[in-house]
Amino acid sequence: MTAAIAGLVCGVLSGLGIGGGTLLMVWMTAVAGLAQRQAQGINLLYFLPTALFALMFHAKNRLLRWRIILPAVLVGCLTAALAAWLATSIDTGLLRKLFGGFLLLVGARELFYRDKKAK
Amino acid sequence: MRKWGAWIAGALAGAVNGLFGAGGGMLLVPLLTRLTDAEEKEAFACSVCIILPLSLVSLLVYYLQGGEFLSQSVPYLIGGAIGGIGAGVLLKKIKAKWLHRALGVFILWGGVRLLMT
Repeated sequence: MTAAIAGLVCGVLSGLGIGGGTLLMVWMTAVAGLAQRQAQGINLLYFLPTALFALMFHAKNRLLRWRIILPAVLVGCLTAALAAWLATSIDTGLLRKLFGGFLLLVGARELFYRDKKAK
Repeated sequence: MRKWGAWIAGALAGAVNGLFGAGGGMLLVPLLTRLTDAEEKEAFACSVCIILPLSLVSLLVYYLQGGEFLSQSVPYLIGGAIGGIGAGVLLKKIKAKWLHRALGVFILWGGVRLLMT
């Protein structure tokens, strides 16, 4: 049950594009005690329905820019496949540390974001 | 440079998504706003849209390489689906600034947590 609630909260965040999946990852590994790679698989799977539902609204609200999305997806699928293969080969402890470090970098950047149009 | 913005953003997001199973979208939002002409909220929405197929690809690779996680996923899938609907309703209404701040807080917390375990 708590898993479903965690999924719901993170689902809202994911649909908004603000890192719900990442939060869920941390919850699954640090709180629910799941193994790193298993959590990664669940995370990817959970995102599918979450994103689909959210996207129906985003499309209706005309927030999707297909000229940006399509090339990004084309290239992204290639790099994703390569990286995913790499992930299944490297040491899981190292993977966790790398992920943690990555999060710190991106997080600090976003937290100190300032409005582009300063008032 | 602007022309290649979407390609670069997509490539990097794919790499992160494949490697970590998460985080590609968070990289995408700042990349899209800086490298393309997407507006704030568009960047968040496009990020969700781009990550969807990438996640499918990464998932397939994990699964083919012997990953076992399907049975554990069910509660997350259900919760996530409902949450996704909530997000769809909310995105139009929230200020972009708060989206960024929330993103930053969650990511930082995540990073600290992971590095500490």
